[in-house]
Amino acid sequence: MIRRYAALIRNAWLVDLQYRASIVLWLLWGVTEPAIALGIWWAIAGEGQIAGYARADFARYFFAVMLINQLTIAWDSWYLDRWIRDGDLNYRLARPLHPAHEAVAENLAYKARTASVILVVWLLVAVVWPAVRLPLAPGRWAITAVAVLLAAAMRFFISFTTGLLAFWTTRATAIMELHAGVSLFLAGRIAPLALLPPAVAGVAGALWFRSMLAFPVDLLTGAVHGTDAIVRGLVGQLVWLAVWIGAYRLAWTRGLRKYGAVGG
Amino acid sequence: MTNAEGGTRNAEQQGQVDQPATVQRMKPATLFRVPTSAFRVLGAFWRLNLAEELQYRANFVASVLGTLFSMATALLTLSLFFHHTTSLGGWDYWEIVVLLGVFNALTGVIEAVLRPGIGQLAGEVRSGELDLVLVKPVDAQGFVSFRRLDIWRFTDVVLGLGLAGYALFRLGQTPSLGQLAAFGLSLAAAAVVVYAIWVVLMSLAFWFVSVENIAVLFDAVYEGARYPVSAYPGALRFLFVYLIPIAWTTTIPASALTGRLRPEFALAAALVAGLAFALARALWRAALRRYSGASG
Repeated sequence: MIRRYAALIRNAWLVDLQYRASIVLWLLWGVTEPAIALGIWWAIAGEGQIAGYARADFARYFFAVMLINQLTIAWDSWYLDRWIRDGDLNYRLARPLHPAHEAVAENLAYKARTASVILVVWLLVAVVWPAVRLPLAPGRWAITAVAVLLAAAMRFFISFTTGLLAFWTTRATAIMELHAGVSLFLAGRIAPLALLPPAVAGVAGALWFRSMLAFPVDLLTGAVHGTDAIVRGLVGQLVWLAVWIGAYRLAWTRGLRKYGAVGG
Repeated sequence: MTNAEGGTRNAEQQGQVDQPATVQRMKPATLFRVPTSAFRVLGAFWRLNLAEELQYRANFVASVLGTLFSMATALLTLSLFFHHTTSLGGWDYWEIVVLLGVFNALTGVIEAVLRPGIGQLAGEVRSGELDLVLVKPVDAQGFVSFRRLDIWRFTDVVLGLGLAGYALFRLGQTPSLGQLAAFGLSLAAAAVVVYAIWVVLMSLAFWFVSVENIAVLFDAVYEGARYPVSAYPGALRFLFVYLIPIAWTTTIPASALTGRLRPEFALAAALVAGLAFALARALWRAALRRYSGASG
C-alpha cells in the first residue's frame, strides 16, 4: 500500500508540476479572501481591540487561516462531479484500487506544494513584520499538526461525499458552494468565531464547522488554551470525522448501485 | 467582403501573408475601427445562443437562487463588520450596501458576457482553437468578447440595481438628475474598466500559454471591489486606484449615486475607462502578433 501511495503521489506531483502557473493562481485566489478580511478588520480595530483582538491578533489569525485553509481545503467534489457525469469514473472503478486513494494522493501532493509556499512567505513576512510572529511553542505546534490532519481528513470526506451526490443530482457542486458560503462564517474564514454573535458561534461549535478550520487556527495562534478546551476540540473533530466517514460510506455504496455508467 | 478576403485580411494583420495584389485594398486597421461586420455576425450568434439558453429554463431559477444566496452572504458579512463598528472607511452601512448593489450589477455583466466570451480565450490559445476565430472575417477582439451570452445572469444586473435602489431608499436619499447621469456614466465606465482588465489578463495567456485558468486571477482581485477603497490601508488603496483600477468599478459609481462625489467626477471615470480600453486594445494587438497557432 505504501508503494502504491508513493507512486500515486509522485504521479500527482508530476502532473501538478506541469501546471505550476495554474497552482500559483489558485494559491493567490486562496489568500486574497483572508487578506481582504484582514485589511477590513485592521481598519475596524484601529488602535483599540475588538473582543480581545487587536490589530496584531487579526494579522496572526488571518495568516494562520491562509496556511491552514490551504492545508485542509479539498476540491474533490468538483472532480467527482465531473468523473460521474462524464463517465471518467468508469476506468477508475475498473482499477484494483479504490478511486479515493487517487484523490487522497492528489490532495497530499497539492497541499505539500502550496502550503510550503505559504509557510515560506509567512516566514519572510515575519522577518519584517513582527505582528505576524508566533511565539515559539513546539508542543502547541505538534497538537496543531494533529488537529490540521483531522480537519483535512474531515474536509476531504465532506467534499468527496458531496461530490458523490452527483450520482443523484446535477447540482452537486452547487451544494458544495452553499456549504462554502455557510462556512465563510461558521468555519471562521471571515472573522474569528469569538467575534460572531454567541448563538451563531454556538451553532458553529455544535456542528462540524469549527472543527474544519477555526479550531486548528485558534490552536496555532494560542486562542484555545487549557488542556480541557484542547481535548474537547479534538474530540469534537474525531466525532465529526466519524460522522462524515459514515456519510461517505452510505453515499458510496448507495450511489454505485444507482450508477449507470455514461460515456466510453 | 467575402470570407476569403476577410481570412486573408486577418492573416495580414498577423504579418504572415504577403499582400496579394488582386485582393481589394482594405482600410488600414486603426485602433478604434467600428466593427460593423462583427455586429452582423454577433447578431446571428446571439439569436442561436438565445434559442439554446431558452431550452434550459431551470438554469434561470438556479441562477437567481445563487445570486440571492451570494447577496445574502455579502450582507451578512457586512453586518458582522458593522456589529463591531459604525463606519468603514468613512462609509456607513447602507452606503456600502449601495456599493454592493453596484458590485452585483457588474458581476452580472461579467458572468453574462465576459466569462462565457473572452474568458474562454486562454484555453483556446493553448489548444489552438483561436485559429477558428481568426479566420472569421470580423474583428477578432470584438468577436471573442461578445460571441456568447449567459443570458440568465443578466438578472444579477437587475437584482444588483434593485439592491442599490433599496439601500438609497433606506438612506432617505433621492438622487438628483445630475447624480443619476453621473451614476449611469460611471457605471458604463466601470463596465469598460472591467472589460479592459479581462482583455489584459487574457492577452497575457499568449505569453504564458499554460495558464488556462487565468480568470481565477480576476476573481481574486475583484474580491477587493466589495468594499470602498477608503477602507483599505494606503498601499492597497494605491494598488486599487492606479495599478489594478478596481476602485473605478464600484467605489466611484456608488459614490456618484450617494452624492459623495461631485457629478463632474464621472467624466474622470470616463477618461480612465477610455485609457484602460486603449491600453488593453494595444496589448491585445501585441499579443495577437505573437500568436502562431497551435492546432494541426
